[in-house]
Amino acid sequence: MKKLITLEINGEQHELALEPSETLLQVLRDELGLVGAKRGCDSGGCGCCTVQVDGQAVYSCMQFAHALQGRTVKTIEGMSQNGELDPLQAAFIEEGAVQCGYCTCGMIMTADEFLATETEPDDQQIRHAIAGNLCRCTGYQKIVTAIKTASARR
Amino acid sequence: MNTTVVGESILRPDAYEKVQGGKGFPVNVTLPRMLHAKLLRSPYPYARILNIDASAAEELTGVKAVLLPKDVPQKKYCPVYFVPTMAASMVQDMVVMSDTVRYAGQPVAAVAATTPEIAERALQLIDVEYEQLEAVFDPESAMREGAPRLHEDAENNIAVNPSFTFGDLEAGFEGADHIFEGTYKTQRAHTCYLEPRVCVVDSDINGRLTVHSSMQHMFGLREKLAFVLDIPESMVKVVKPPYIGGGFGGKLDIGYIEPIAALFSLKTGRPVRIEQTRYEDFITTTRNPIEVYLKTGVKSDGTFTARYALSTLDCGAHATHGAEVINVHGMFGILLNYRCANQTWEGRTVYTNNMIGGGYRGYGSPQGSFAVESQIDEICDELDLDPIEFRLKNAHQEGDPHPFNPEFTLSTYRFADCLKQAAERIGWTDRAAAKSSNGHKKRGIGFGCQPVWVSGCMGFPDIYEHSGAIIKLNSDGTADLSNATVDMGSGQITTLCQIAAEELGLAADKVRMTYADTDTVPFDAPSHASRVTYSAGNAVKAASAVVKKRLLEVAGDLLEASSEDLEVRDGVVYIKGSDKKISIPDVIKRAEGPFVVMTEEGPKPTTIKEKGTIIGVASMAPPSNPSPSSVEFVELEVDTDTGEVEILRVVFAHDIGKVINPMAAEGQVEGGFQQGMGYALMEEIQFDADSGACLTADFLDYKIPTAVEMPPSIESIFIESNEPTGPFGAKSLSEPCVSVPAPAIANAIYNAVGVRVRELPITPEKILAGLGKL
Repeated sequence: MKKLITLEINGEQHELALEPSETLLQVLRDELGLVGAKRGCDSGGCGCCTVQVDGQAVYSCMQFAHALQGRTVKTIEGMSQNGELDPLQAAFIEEGAVQCGYCTCGMIMTADEFLATETEPDDQQIRHAIAGNLCRCTGYQKIVTAIKTASARR
Repeated sequence: MNTTVVGESILRPDAYEKVQGGKGFPVNVTLPRMLHAKLLRSPYPYARILNIDASAAEELTGVKAVLLPKDVPQKKYCPVYFVPTMAASMVQDMVVMSDTVRYAGQPVAAVAATTPEIAERALQLIDVEYEQLEAVFDPESAMREGAPRLHEDAENNIAVNPSFTFGDLEAGFEGADHIFEGTYKTQRAHTCYLEPRVCVVDSDINGRLTVHSSMQHMFGLREKLAFVLDIPESMVKVVKPPYIGGGFGGKLDIGYIEPIAALFSLKTGRPVRIEQTRYEDFITTTRNPIEVYLKTGVKSDGTFTARYALSTLDCGAHATHGAEVINVHGMFGILLNYRCANQTWEGRTVYTNNMIGGGYRGYGSPQGSFAVESQIDEICDELDLDPIEFRLKNAHQEGDPHPFNPEFTLSTYRFADCLKQAAERIGWTDRAAAKSSNGHKKRGIGFGCQPVWVSGCMGFPDIYEHSGAIIKLNSDGTADLSNATVDMGSGQITTLCQIAAEELGLAADKVRMTYADTDTVPFDAPSHASRVTYSAGNAVKAASAVVKKRLLEVAGDLLEASSEDLEVRDGVVYIKGSDKKISIPDVIKRAEGPFVVMTEEGPKPTTIKEKGTIIGVASMAPPSNPSPSSVEFVELEVDTDTGEVEILRVVFAHDIGKVINPMAAEGQVEGGFQQGMGYALMEEIQFDADSGACLTADFLDYKIPTAVEMPPSIESIFIESNEPTGPFGAKSLSEPCVSVPAPAIANAIYNAVGVRVRELPITPEKILAGLGKL
């Protein structure tokens, strides 16, 4: 049976009627058309669905939306401000960190949380931060470079 | 060759959209009134279906249609995109849904409903009565007398049995000073494209289909879908996705999902979507495991006198790609890589009740290179020969006839440069010292090669190899490029736009890859076989040349000069050696403007022959199949207490012709190493020995390298040459990046701890066993 919850997503309040089994990923993609969060495995194994709940990077495929009543969610669609790319997004483009792009939004969401507290990370710290985000195209090298470049700019 | 756009690390135009959400992936396609379908899959590996009762499923609210084997065409086909459906060199043994199950996970029924959850629930209401049959899970057992027969026309379960012979093998072995034998085994691995296989198929009242799919070949999907449904190809339109979320060869065949979605759409009159779960993707397509037996004869100085190889490929329930992988493996994984007058290779593609295989970057060469490059190092170790000198001694030379197709030559071939430069960069001569120990940790350096490869499929029997493009100039000085090449992440969009921009004399950001579908553009072969830069690139360059010719004709009229005296730089047409010029926008304004213009003196006619859109089309086969060449050195450390391997440093050298985009080329090497390293050290799709059920169907059980396991650096050396038949001198890149890591790692491990592992993946258990600790 559907239950009414309210969620703040990228600064906007949403009132949603949801089944208990609906995940945050389903809500974002299927109810709200926010397709930046992506389904890669639906089982907490790849990170393509990563978004932030109250500033913490989480796998949205593993979050029951029901349980997030009153929380704030940030997705990739909330990263750019007034049409301007966040330094992370710009760095991913400039450093060649985007190939097929399917892991990209999840990577950026994880990196965004990481850089909020780590302002001058080294390569090893960056690699550990994104260990929960799989990429099959880039070998991660240019993703690490992009995150480092962005850390200097933020 | 002097170029201004080609050779630059132009930023990918699609990256801008991808960092903000990526709307263009086929997984995002939704249509009004769309239904969702799910497939019921057999739990048994070999069984006959006696009865299916789907009545309860049909009655569930929200279910709109059910398909059983009796409801779908039973026409047999080969699902591989890049060959004609009934190609003689392939095996047509696939059916959309059969009442004989040949592997655990094969679809036996399908349901279309208003939501995926309802479809899923309906599957559980379908009652299937199976008669289980005795199954067979390995090729050796499958080939034995008395083994269960999986397909009527395959005796001993052998789907195909190709062989190649050159010279006189017996004489070659007689002339050898030493003979070496060994068996090398590789495992099943998954491409792990992150965007799942997904499709949406819509139909109109005339039965015409519109198809969206995450796939690597638009025209292949059209041909195969039309064939399976027994409708003309013109009744199927495949829409080009702006980009897809990875393919790596795993989306090079028609799946179950497209025909089933199409049948549902025709039945219900609504669009139908099917998205595979990650479990379904893990059992859909795989790199075929191949066991290679090598027998090699050499002189004491290391010259090959005779090479024999027997390769056994497990293709699973249906031959699919296995009938071609075995040939590419035999040719480019084993026979052609080095010179030897006396060689014989025999390959068997064998049916078992395991999952079916697909394409995967390298397509048989990783399995071959692992064997060949490991054995060469074993020979050098035994005879105390230098591994670099050994390979150089037996290598092909620039200018030699192409070993695969002697009509072509190795017009540019820099294998020796690759070896020397990469060896120097990694510090090969310090290798003895590199075998140092840090307590229980020991370091080693090793390398592997892919000496000969392809730039496309020109010259291969039965394989499509032609491309096309349409290019149009706009009045704002930009150009629209439309073609059927799918960008799966390797940068096809960027590469082709750069080639067009260079030929047209435009800045890189002035060429835009735009919409296409199979109604509107010429045929293109798939994004595979490292072919896009060379093959599609040549077609794009040719279309651009047509546009440029017309542009200069019109500009010549306006500048009152012959088009031979004109050149284009940065969007402006100049008379060579003069200041007289006209911008492309001004040329277009004239070409696309009205014939009669209003002047101060009243209406005045211009010239009829200037009028018309400046547009060019090309459709052509590439002129050759030049061979790139590659070598990879790896330095690593083995922990002799745990058996774990840490990769410290990688140097990859590649003879690539012209590098179109250096940053993108590096990206291919780095990504290729992630796949090759995973293949070497940790990846393996595993099955239950009794039931054939897949045990590694998610990313927790099937391990691929994360950012943490990767080495701190991967260095790329690109040896540039000017390939005369390539667009601006380019050859190809992407596949050798995946073939070379495994032998390099195996050889480095041997150098570090003296353990030779001939079976992938080289897990800690295997290393510890080799050290006598397990």
